Amino acid sequence: MDNDDNNTLRSDRTGKISVGRRRFIGAAGVGAVATTVAGCIGGGGDEGFTVGHLAPLENTQGIGSERSAELAAEEINEEGGIRDEDVEIVSANTRSDPSTAQDEASRLINQENVDLLVGTFSSEVSLNIMDMIAENNVPYIVTGSASPAIIENSTGSDYEANKNIFRSGPINSYFQAEAMGGYADYLSDRHGWNTFAYLADDAAWTDPFTNNLPGELESRGYDVVYESELSTGIDDFSTVMNDLESEDPDAVFRFFAHIIATDMLASWHQRQAEFGIEGIHVASMTPDFYELSQETATFETTSQSGAAGTTDITDKTLDFVDAYQSFTEGDDDAPDLPMYMGFNTYDAVYLYREAVEEAGTADYESDLDGIVDAMLGLEYTGTAGEISFYGEGDDYPHDVQEERGENDEITNFPITQWRPGGDLECVYPEQYRTADHVQPEWMG
Amino acid sequence: MSERVRRIGRLRSTVRQTILLPSGRAAARVLSPIDRALRPGANLFNRFLGSYVGEVTGLQLGLLVAALVALATVPMWAPLFVGNYMRTLAVACIWAVFAMGWDIQSGYTGYISFGHSALSATAGYTTALLAVNLSPVPSFWVTIPVSILAALVLGLLIGLPSLRLSGPYFSLVTFVAVLLFYRLTIGFSETLGGENGFQAVEVFTWDFTERYYLMLVPMLLVAAALTVVARSNVGTVLVAIRENERAVSAAGLDPTKFKLWSFALSSITMGIGGVLLAHFGGNVDPATFVVVDRSIEMIAMAVIGGMSSVLGPIGGAFLFVLLRDEILRLWFGHSTRWVMLWLLVLLVLVFARNGLFRWIWHAVGAVGGDRE
Amino acid sequence: MLDSLLSILITGAMISALYALIAIGFTMIFGVGGVLNLAHGALIMAGAYVFVILNRDVIWESVALPRLLVFPLAVGAIGLASYGLYAGLVRYIEDDPVITFLATVVVATMTTEIALGIFGDQPYAYTVVRGQASIAGTSVSYNDLAGFALSWIAIGLLWYYITQTDGGRSILAASMSERGAQLTGVDLHSVRTRTWLIAGGLAGLAGIFLGGDQAATPLMWLNPLALAFIIVVIGGIGSIKGSIVAAYLIGYTETLTVSMLGQSFRGILSLVILLVVLFLLPQGLYGREYVHE
Repeated sequence: MDNDDNNTLRSDRTGKISVGRRRFIGAAGVGAVATTVAGCIGGGGDEGFTVGHLAPLENTQGIGSERSAELAAEEINEEGGIRDEDVEIVSANTRSDPSTAQDEASRLINQENVDLLVGTFSSEVSLNIMDMIAENNVPYIVTGSASPAIIENSTGSDYEANKNIFRSGPINSYFQAEAMGGYADYLSDRHGWNTFAYLADDAAWTDPFTNNLPGELESRGYDVVYESELSTGIDDFSTVMNDLESEDPDAVFRFFAHIIATDMLASWHQRQAEFGIEGIHVASMTPDFYELSQETATFETTSQSGAAGTTDITDKTLDFVDAYQSFTEGDDDAPDLPMYMGFNTYDAVYLYREAVEEAGTADYESDLDGIVDAMLGLEYTGTAGEISFYGEGDDYPHDVQEERGENDEITNFPITQWRPGGDLECVYPEQYRTADHVQPEWMG
Repeated sequence: MSERVRRIGRLRSTVRQTILLPSGRAAARVLSPIDRALRPGANLFNRFLGSYVGEVTGLQLGLLVAALVALATVPMWAPLFVGNYMRTLAVACIWAVFAMGWDIQSGYTGYISFGHSALSATAGYTTALLAVNLSPVPSFWVTIPVSILAALVLGLLIGLPSLRLSGPYFSLVTFVAVLLFYRLTIGFSETLGGENGFQAVEVFTWDFTERYYLMLVPMLLVAAALTVVARSNVGTVLVAIRENERAVSAAGLDPTKFKLWSFALSSITMGIGGVLLAHFGGNVDPATFVVVDRSIEMIAMAVIGGMSSVLGPIGGAFLFVLLRDEILRLWFGHSTRWVMLWLLVLLVLVFARNGLFRWIWHAVGAVGGDRE
Repeated sequence: MLDSLLSILITGAMISALYALIAIGFTMIFGVGGVLNLAHGALIMAGAYVFVILNRDVIWESVALPRLLVFPLAVGAIGLASYGLYAGLVRYIEDDPVITFLATVVVATMTTEIALGIFGDQPYAYTVVRGQASIAGTSVSYNDLAGFALSWIAIGLLWYYITQTDGGRSILAASMSERGAQLTGVDLHSVRTRTWLIAGGLAGLAGIFLGGDQAATPLMWLNPLALAFIIVVIGGIGSIKGSIVAAYLIGYTETLTVSMLGQSFRGILSLVILLVVLFLLPQGLYGREYVHE
């Protein structure tokens, strides 16, 4: 419908409230027209390609992702843009709160008329804005949240209504739990570790771990001696540490995205507790976490898409990290590395370009099916791995496919370890390994 | 009273003498013809509705009608502005309900509650729990009354024993109530969803225009109902309780009965707001409903608008939400926006503690000359 | 069983000492001015951040002062900030308790936003005292021990000050009866100045050790303040002795709750105790009746 009018609004973004005079008279004269405009807003304009980026910007993950999106836009614009249109990133701060996220997302859709949405860090936020985004048909690529429910509740339950929703990474936490089993095999081979403990955020993304990982470990012949879900507001780990010490596992698998476990790490080093700390700790992906934690992050591991640029997962990985570092030179807020969400967001912007060039249109309002088909046909080599999506009939339609190695183990799930001195090494899986896992120096 | 306070008082009165009064007189000269022109309408209004909602002058009626027309026609003018006004104003409607709900208890009786978000949260969580635990999910017509009833029950549960407390101790109990509610959502995360709450409530609609009216109409109905109550004898007694509770008993009235009335009214209003908020976004979590910040925000709205009036909290809520979500956004990013918002609230608290909208209302009323 | 009892006894003592510091400052301010100062929490957080800024070079690269110097600087800075809050804001509005309460809440919220804006939400760990000791089989960090010791030194000094010196006695007098104190020639303005300075210093001290135990984060003040709030009401608003007793009561309740019921139940039992106390003993353990003008 009336796209020219929408554009008057949009190109006027810097002028804020000023509105073209012609438009004002027109709309004031025919109120009914204005109402319909409001009803249909949300169409991709024909001028410029706008990417809405959603993430918590108090959080280094969010900032890393935002800068990566900016970088992708700059590079794409140098190469001539997406379908000859300049790419612009409009960034919104979701904080970590579903209501704010909903407000920001609806703003990006209605006010900025974005052509694509990328981002969202916490799974609760993603789950909460999905319905609204599905309603508006804007293509939305999740790049930060791992909960399988994001797919199960959308494309998995009503494919037609939700087919604008994709996830380019990380692999969902159901597959992550399986991958952790493979990692446990490696730890067992290397150190003889056979008893494990399990800790997790009490949050949506860890549900698959809680449901599957202990069973997965036991089926591989290991003992699980302790399982607990911790309140995301936890601020005292002394009880947990006491429990762990008395259960005496060889390693603790802990899955923390909301919890920032500096306190736990400090007490781990102080007590010289006799176990390794493995799994996922999102805060520990921050490049200066080693310093922030006063070096107590040493020996802990975390899985992260892109392996923090320690190794060339694909031939694009290290080029991207270099480009990111020169792009954020002098930018004090930005982390030194793109972090997992940055890798995924950067890939999402590029792969969407590939999809719309393939589809021959970026106009999701008139040809969403064409875009979706092109997305599903992609086999894209990204910075964090080879990306292709599951199709309509699969368990997780539109979710990124896991990659599997020779023994069917999941490989696009690299794990890094902090070493004394603050270096990061990729310790798993084998083909990306830069160094073997080491146990804390006080063990063995 | 200390020397500095007196000095700031002098500053205030100088400002009033040299700037406000003359410019006020100038404005009055311009406005009084409008007031006269509108007076027949006002007389008509006063004759039929005056005894229920209070009398108005011509200009006040003009202002009211203009505000109502502006609210009713939002879908027509909102697209003219760059912004997300359809959503922002719908949010403002919900918060206006909360601010009015707080005010009908705390503003009128002087029993200041610091934990009103516990009441709206009760309604929201009831809705969410019904949606999560029952299958098939009961219709709106069941969940909505049940949720409002739940808010009423909790309101009376807190209110009844607290009646014997006064002053800061009443405020403390309410403050504790909301902290306890928050703690319980974490402690019993299996049932209450924990920090991340529920994403299960069905939203009324994602159509922005329709959704706005679904928030606006209940808000206006609540406002009308509360205005009638506030202008009735009950309202007068409530204010008398604030001024001097002993005098009320001396006059042969039972203050407890009236306080319970105001608590009940307030809880029902909070319940209505809670249900609206739950169906607005579909998410019921501590950050949206429970945390103390939400209580503080509704108090701030009522106070900057003007306590113990119905229009004050509505105006305060719209001002607060518009500033936060639209106006300050034009200049400030992320955290700075909140800092500036709180700074503005602080300025109003210090320099205009009776509230902006109450002041405007009386100033406009004074133009006609027959009122203070 | 005996082991865990002993460990609860020791951990509880450590954390209670810090709660007592926060509660005393909070209650003193209420005692002399009738002000419920929620911005007290912001001062706790500020204490931790000021320590990080001065001690570690993660924020300003050039500044990294030795800890012994940073410690008094940080405590002093927070004392001054507390006084600034009084002189710059509270004194103009303290005649209206609702406005004052709201204004201090607003200040606390604002400060949190500022901290979020500057530091983001990642925690900044730092060390006040490094090391670990073992007392009767329970491992206790030197940070907690130092916090415990300094808390009692501070309480002792405060006790001496308000009972043995004229300046201190005038604070006590003002908190008993403002009008009476004024009649006997107490300079209320100077009393309030000193009260806010002392309360701020104590909050800063507590903040530094709380942050040293965990890490500095923008919302680190919320739980300690809520507990201090509970402590003050249980002890009786305005009573320093009550605050100390109640701090240990609540400190142990918390430690017990966490070790018996788990982390998620923190605060719930304390809040229930508070409700019971409020209804049975509305003035708290050592409080006086609230006189409404």
